[in-house]
Amino acid sequence: MRVGLLTEGGYPYATGDARVWCDRLVRGLAQHEFEVYALGRDPGQEAGGWGDLPRNVGWVRTAPLWGEPERRPGGRGGRRQRRRFAEHFGELAAAISAPYGSGAPHGSCAPGRTTVQADRFANALHGLADLAGEYGGLSAALRSEDAVRTLERACRTLGAPHGAQRARAADLLTVTEALERALRPLSLDWYGDGAGGDPGLSGVDLCHAATGGAAVLPGLLAKRRFGTPLLLTEYGVRLRECYLAGAAGAAGGRPLPGPVRTLLAAFHGLLAAEAYARADLITPGNTHTRRWQERCGAERERLRTVYPGMDAARFAEVGERGAAQPGDDRTLVWVGRIEPPKDVIALLHAFAEVRRWQPDARLRIIETRRGDDPEADGYPAHCRALADHLFPDEAADAHSTGDNPVSFERLGDPEVPTLADAYGAGGVVVLSSVVEGFPVGLVEAMFCGRATVSTDVGAVCEVIGGTGLVVPPRNPRALADACLALLSDAERCARLGAAARARALELFTVEQNVAAFRGIYLELMSHCPVRREEVGAGGGPLPFARPAEAHVPGRWTAGRDGDGFGHWLPGPPAARPAPEHTPTWATPPPPEPLGVGPRPSEESA
Amino acid sequence: MTTPPRWNGPFDPASSDSDRGPGALSGALSGALSGARVPVSRRPDEASPRTGAGKGRRGPADPVRALMHRHHDLCARAVDPLEIAAGLEAHGVTDRTAARFRHRDVFSLAEELYARVERAEEPEPPAAPAPGRALGVRMVLGALWLLPGALCVATAFAVPHVDAVGNVGKDAAIGLAVGAGGALLTVIALWLCLRRGPLRVHGSGRGGRIAHALCTCWLLGYAAAGDWLLTGLLDGRRPYEAAPAAEAAVLLALAVAPAAWCARWFAVRARRRLAAGRGLDEFAAGVRPLFAGVVTAYLCGLAALVPAARLTVPGSPPAAAPLSTAEAAVVALCGLLLLARLLAVHGFRRAALSGVAVACAVQAAALAMAAAARLPGAAPLGAPVARLTAAQGAAAVPVAACGAAALALLIHAFGVLCRASAHGAPGARTTRTVSATRITRTAPNRAP
Repeated sequence: MRVGLLTEGGYPYATGDARVWCDRLVRGLAQHEFEVYALGRDPGQEAGGWGDLPRNVGWVRTAPLWGEPERRPGGRGGRRQRRRFAEHFGELAAAISAPYGSGAPHGSCAPGRTTVQADRFANALHGLADLAGEYGGLSAALRSEDAVRTLERACRTLGAPHGAQRARAADLLTVTEALERALRPLSLDWYGDGAGGDPGLSGVDLCHAATGGAAVLPGLLAKRRFGTPLLLTEYGVRLRECYLAGAAGAAGGRPLPGPVRTLLAAFHGLLAAEAYARADLITPGNTHTRRWQERCGAERERLRTVYPGMDAARFAEVGERGAAQPGDDRTLVWVGRIEPPKDVIALLHAFAEVRRWQPDARLRIIETRRGDDPEADGYPAHCRALADHLFPDEAADAHSTGDNPVSFERLGDPEVPTLADAYGAGGVVVLSSVVEGFPVGLVEAMFCGRATVSTDVGAVCEVIGGTGLVVPPRNPRALADACLALLSDAERCARLGAAARARALELFTVEQNVAAFRGIYLELMSHCPVRREEVGAGGGPLPFARPAEAHVPGRWTAGRDGDGFGHWLPGPPAARPAPEHTPTWATPPPPEPLGVGPRPSEESA
Repeated sequence: MTTPPRWNGPFDPASSDSDRGPGALSGALSGALSGARVPVSRRPDEASPRTGAGKGRRGPADPVRALMHRHHDLCARAVDPLEIAAGLEAHGVTDRTAARFRHRDVFSLAEELYARVERAEEPEPPAAPAPGRALGVRMVLGALWLLPGALCVATAFAVPHVDAVGNVGKDAAIGLAVGAGGALLTVIALWLCLRRGPLRVHGSGRGGRIAHALCTCWLLGYAAAGDWLLTGLLDGRRPYEAAPAAEAAVLLALAVAPAAWCARWFAVRARRRLAAGRGLDEFAAGVRPLFAGVVTAYLCGLAALVPAARLTVPGSPPAAAPLSTAEAAVVALCGLLLLARLLAVHGFRRAALSGVAVACAVQAAALAMAAAARLPGAAPLGAPVARLTAAQGAAAVPVAACGAAALALLIHAFGVLCRASAHGAPGARTTRTVSATRITRTAPNRAP
């Protein structure tokens, strides 16, 4: 089976996000053949080159989403092309400048957008794609004065949102430029119309988009043109990232102007809704992503959470060893980057409370970020100062050297050479974040079989299940109570740690991730196969190679008994009647002719 | 979060102690039935053994108000509720937090915030992007544009003097060497000037760039020797005069500085207008007079440079004489080159190339017709050129070619350079310095 893996700013490059899991997926599914279609995000990535690719990656195609657009030969069309472009782009502009929350309540589309708007957007998108396929590239047209004027007209219409009404000329230019970049996948030669008889995406059995956003566009086009099933995996919601990036501003300075954010938010929202509506299966990485997808119109029955897989082998030794050593069981461990969202301050205050009730407790703060001067950033220095202030050095007696109960260490120091050693160094692992996405550190602690105390942020509750203690964020006292409860009960610690390790091994290993995708690939292939035109020996089309009944949904060879008309039945196979070993056509003809399916009497005649 | 109980009467420890007893339910029921509020949530003395929090502290009637206050900026500039939801999540608000505000999830909380907070007016954009460098530095950088002109003037001034001083036999060689060295330095300075600043052409596309360079070289070559060649073809061989060519070279090199200043002024003013203007039509209406002003200023600058070039090069007409046809040809060439460069800088490279190519074609056609007329029996072919040169001099051909092309480019530029799309997003042009590689890179990954 040939899988087209669509990525944006990720996989084949040596840098970028979503790179590691794509690599594991491709290596794990070695029986499938992969073709990678990658959109580069910035020139640095392009310069960094590709990582090491396994043998089952057949082709890699990359296209930049940055920089000046390349003009493909045969660029300018005539008046007819300009008229069609103006028509489709006008539709697109009208869709993205429609007011938020007008019309019918949101059903199966993005919140605040109507179905009419979503249809308009989809039509415009596919119209532009067809135009790009015919005339070879839309970049020049999308940056032309016509496009800017069309957008201005759409923004100035009655009923456009307040933000869009106030768009100035500079804002319109920014928006058209961003649209040109976002729509660049439409103009690529990836769809089998390239030179040299290269089939491109038309020869692929399944499109797997590794992120949302621009990477979905090739999959949407392939689905529409060739019927290729589309699988969309999102470990972080691209729409949400767009909102945050817009608020943060282009270069970390002022946020983007309001009109620009209005129009781009509408565009990305509608694109996400279109992707969620068209994808055959969507696999969010956690419940948080899933909620966003549901909110943006993904149907619940096509959502299937596939947790990200992590390498459990690194932690096997520490995890198998069981609970902490007797010397370490009074030690709390915190592992991560010392940053304000991790709220190390609250951790120190909580530990002060712990020390009041358990004077021999120790806290090891292990910093994973390396190569960075700690004095350069104010927060780590502040944390160290607070620790020194709260906990003076202590000594056992009058003649020995003192030691601080809170130690700041770095990963890679001789004390903690590896991550597994870091987690194994204590009895209880603490996570004190106030903001968290998917808590990778928590999963690693679970792999190590450690009891954990974490704050209720992000996907923590979902990850930990019932195998650790969860306290509200920004509540040092509750954190201290939970830590004390675990420190004073070693047996409970061991029990929770073992349960956590078992849970992590079941849910968060690479193997389960790969196995889930293997099953999903096969299921998509069997339910939504690509219908290709049969080609005869001479290369010409072969009419009637596939009987018309093959297009009837369900198993047309089955009789009226059994599954009825062969609709796919969920549930264990044992619940279904055992399949007959005699083919249907070999059995004696039924008393009355069937509604569908070949009629044996006619066949024999 | 449990709300602290409200008391209707004095606290009675005996009754709360009896809650634990077997008759607690009946007691509570009878209390509720009799209308007295019975504290069932929690007793104040066991609320929190170590903190004492929750002692008489009651929540506000509208808990969302505090949240509104805390995230006011986020809510005020949000364009839709999802943006507020994304921002709240980035601040650590989860569905469980939203439940405390009596909302199902963050999205519905964000919708309430979006509905309740008034949208802030967009702050006015900064009037002009602050110049990156100090005024003095910018003036020095601007003066660098005078370098090609200065080098060319120095060369043109030095060569006759070297000839005059060295009365030995090898003087011609020395003069030639000085001239060649000066020309080389001028070309290098020119190349450096065109690689940066307002005359730099962004983007990739090697083919168009090479064609443009070839056409420009042809035009420059014709300005140097075209008239001599044409006259020779029409009337027979005569000696080459260096003075008009030197004057043309000086004028061209001197014209680089006003061209750069005009281009920069145009770009900066147009961008400023773009940042301030509201509609596209308003922008176009404002930029049209600006562009007309830029072209006029450049032509005035050229008019001032002509006497300077005459003063520099010996053997040229006196400074006060009216403009000769040859000088008019050089002026037209300067205008053509400026317009082509402006169009190319703003992304209309195809139009720029066709303008320059048309001028080249006309000049080449004139030469070809003059050459063809020397063939036996083809004399009528050269008649138009011969008549033109007889009436206006040989320089009439470049005047007509460059002037017509420049006029066509001027009309075209007046249409396209006054559009907003020609001026790009502010700040975007500076970031697009890396030229894109091929649009699609395809590589098979079959390890041998």
